[in-house]
Amino acid sequence: MKDLKHLYYFEQLLEDANNQLVRQGKEEGKLALGYTCFHMPEVLLNLDNCFSLRLRAPKTGSMDIATYYMSNYTCEFCRAILERSIEGGFNFLDALLAVDACAQMNRCVENVEIQNLIDKEKFFVSHVDVPYKVDDSAITHYVQQIKLKVMDKLSENYGVDISDKSIRKAVEEHNALCRIITEIGNYRKEDNPRITGYEFHILTLISYACPRYLVMEKLTETLEELKTRECDDKKQFRAKVVMVGSEMDDPEFTKIIEESGALVVADRYCFGSFPGREEIILNDTEDVLMQVCRQYLVDSLCPRYMSTEKIDERRANVDYLFREFNADGVIYEQIKFCDYWGYERVLSGYVVNKDYGHPILSIDRPYMAKASGQLRTRIQAFVESLEIKKINKAKEGKKK
Amino acid sequence: MSKLGKLYTGKQYIKRREWRGFRDTMYDFYRWLVTWKDLIKFVFSSPLRITRGIFTYRWMGSYLTTTAFIDRHSMGLRGTALRINHLHFNMMIKNTTQLIANQFKADKRFGKSTKLSDKIVLFDEMMPMHLMAGFPNLFGVPIQVAPVFQCSVIDQQSMIQYLDAVENFGLPSDVCPLPACEAGAGILDDYPQIGCCYVSSSMPCDGSVMASAFQSRYFDLPTFPLTLPVRYLDMETEAYAVQNMKDCIAFIEKHTGETYDWDAYFTAMKQYNKETEFEMQKWEINKTEYPQITGASLALYRMYSFLVAASMDKRFLKVQEKVNKLMMKGYEKKEKCSKEMRHRAVVWAPPAHYYSNFSTWAENCWGINVLIDMESLVATKFFNTEDKEETLKDLAHTYERMTMRRHTNGGFVNVLDELWNVCKEFNCDMVIMYVGISCKTMAGLTGLFEEQARDRGIHLIWVDHDLMDPRTVSRKEMRGFVNRYMTTVLREEPVDESLVDFNDEKTW
Repeated sequence: MKDLKHLYYFEQLLEDANNQLVRQGKEEGKLALGYTCFHMPEVLLNLDNCFSLRLRAPKTGSMDIATYYMSNYTCEFCRAILERSIEGGFNFLDALLAVDACAQMNRCVENVEIQNLIDKEKFFVSHVDVPYKVDDSAITHYVQQIKLKVMDKLSENYGVDISDKSIRKAVEEHNALCRIITEIGNYRKEDNPRITGYEFHILTLISYACPRYLVMEKLTETLEELKTRECDDKKQFRAKVVMVGSEMDDPEFTKIIEESGALVVADRYCFGSFPGREEIILNDTEDVLMQVCRQYLVDSLCPRYMSTEKIDERRANVDYLFREFNADGVIYEQIKFCDYWGYERVLSGYVVNKDYGHPILSIDRPYMAKASGQLRTRIQAFVESLEIKKINKAKEGKKK
Repeated sequence: MSKLGKLYTGKQYIKRREWRGFRDTMYDFYRWLVTWKDLIKFVFSSPLRITRGIFTYRWMGSYLTTTAFIDRHSMGLRGTALRINHLHFNMMIKNTTQLIANQFKADKRFGKSTKLSDKIVLFDEMMPMHLMAGFPNLFGVPIQVAPVFQCSVIDQQSMIQYLDAVENFGLPSDVCPLPACEAGAGILDDYPQIGCCYVSSSMPCDGSVMASAFQSRYFDLPTFPLTLPVRYLDMETEAYAVQNMKDCIAFIEKHTGETYDWDAYFTAMKQYNKETEFEMQKWEINKTEYPQITGASLALYRMYSFLVAASMDKRFLKVQEKVNKLMMKGYEKKEKCSKEMRHRAVVWAPPAHYYSNFSTWAENCWGINVLIDMESLVATKFFNTEDKEETLKDLAHTYERMTMRRHTNGGFVNVLDELWNVCKEFNCDMVIMYVGISCKTMAGLTGLFEEQARDRGIHLIWVDHDLMDPRTVSRKEMRGFVNRYMTTVLREEPVDESLVDFNDEKTW
């Protein structure tokens, strides 16, 4: 396939957290608000003159200093974020809106806070308490937390307009972005998709890691380009997979998978589009903030939710994506030392295989996985096993 | 000079009982007999079912080593400290045997026991049981306590099978071994088949949250996740915490047909208040020059009485009263709690279950008196015993500040700043900082602990362990961390040289 026109530009943007568009946004007088988790409603960080940035630490090499502060037994993503903060890589941020949803990221943010790593007059850090289940009282609690620790603070510190009108405007812009990403993502349902998992990963990451008002134009152009994009006659993949798991902002990992013969057709991981790029439909009768917060809680597929309904929903969702995107297998991945996904990967991987019958590959990986030959070998073996399954199935079909 | 290290044989048993002088040796031996009496009484409370239990559940064999477990924690103790230690441990054993007996009596594996089983509400072990005080007709069973928690401190080898099972299933070995063992016991089908519903919990950490998915699937019972706010210092989270408690009570009422008995609840909470008062008095004495209760005796009893007994067993109050009398007497007589008292220490972070008597060793070997530990410093708020709404706030407050959660949740101030406050209050010059190598909440603050201890001139000794798995860091290796610090940094001579290097890797 011919390369996407803006792909190289997007790839360059992802090389740095403080990229060209972020700098442009700051120069235009906007407030850069960093966050680290789906549970911080992204849309609320794009109110008025703010833009959201889901924190990443691209090109991470040594994490020695962060390892001194957080030990070498903690999640590399958290350590990479801390290392980058210590290096001054996030000094452009005006606030760090964190959630106490995962202990390790919480400690990472606390290290940033205690060591005063971002030393600005009005800079603040928030720790939002996120419930472990979704019911009316949990939603009320979550809304209250967001209001007190995000909305009110933005208003008090920076005079950000947090009115209902402002929220509705941000939701509209968010929905416009989501529609583009969803439409692009839907091309992955095709028999021979006109977009690769790697390309889609890049586009999705761009939507998280850049001021959205500055990327909308090029994303729209990319969508237009895809409408007429022609695929190679011969399929460039041997199997299609759904990727499920923890934080993944390294498109190189998707590249490893695709170089090994599998096409990633659905991205159900942190930084992916499932969930994260669904439209928020507001009604006129309920409180706007409550509607937004509720949607984030309801949509979340994070393994930290403990209720039986949510646990079942997570597995059913994987099954849905498998069927909807005509996948052949599921890759459960986990960044090493992640407690949540360590358990989820194992148990849900087992259940999805046993109860739904889907082939599973279960792997843990470092934050930066590019150089991992071991992972490549495992993925290649999985692809081969999927191919054998297909051949056997075809043989059985002929016999019948 | 004591030569306690010479008692170890390198095998499971010790050569002989420690000679403590005639009076104390006789008392210790009498207590050894009392433990056996309690164990035999336990078997005779339901001989057939308990015998079947011994042959059915892998963990039951470990309970036969209970006397050795108490012996380990009594080493080097004399006079008041010895007596208090035995009173504490005996009460825990009495309550545990009753807990196990009730489970076996209701166990569906051993015959139809639907009636009793339907009266049992299963709780996640890492959650206090106080809530059940309002259901006097039901039994609240912290289901993992007997197979995992209690068993792991009694026998260091006992959890290996569960860890192997869950890791063979695919769980990474870097997660906390406590919830991993709980999940492993499920994989090996090693829990009694009891209960009508299950209250899972998000406490105290991410590992526990996730293990609950294993547990819910295994128990296959109606499940209620009791999930209190993490940022519990923020007062605005209180309403949600209280609502959680109310929902939990309603869930139990729904699945058992019982109605919450507030009078029974208030009676138990009055006992809780008295017990808490006694507990705080222990700490006050330990802040003085003549501490009376140190190490595991303080920590394990506090943890057990708070989490498991939860003021629903009147015998605990009696023990507290007795202990208090002994303690005050010892203090007035300016009795020393150990042969030599060189360092006043705090133990911070979760300790190794497989080496719960580590502080006993440190005291005997180096004269390090552990005056307080993180796990003891849980909630101390007194309960309102008249107003339902107010008492529910107290209940939520107490649950939020339960063992470990009190410090590892809710922000760094609860664990980092709190440590220095505790050091100051107890006038400590040393911190034994456990490094549970899979405990991420503590690991995330490693550098800050190190820096801030240095700034304050406090001796911080890092002691690695793997909570339930003695294969990763053995007891001997744990002792090595202290030995090295004492000989290289402090250049001290041991109190008992025979304890510096000995082999106990094969013991219980």
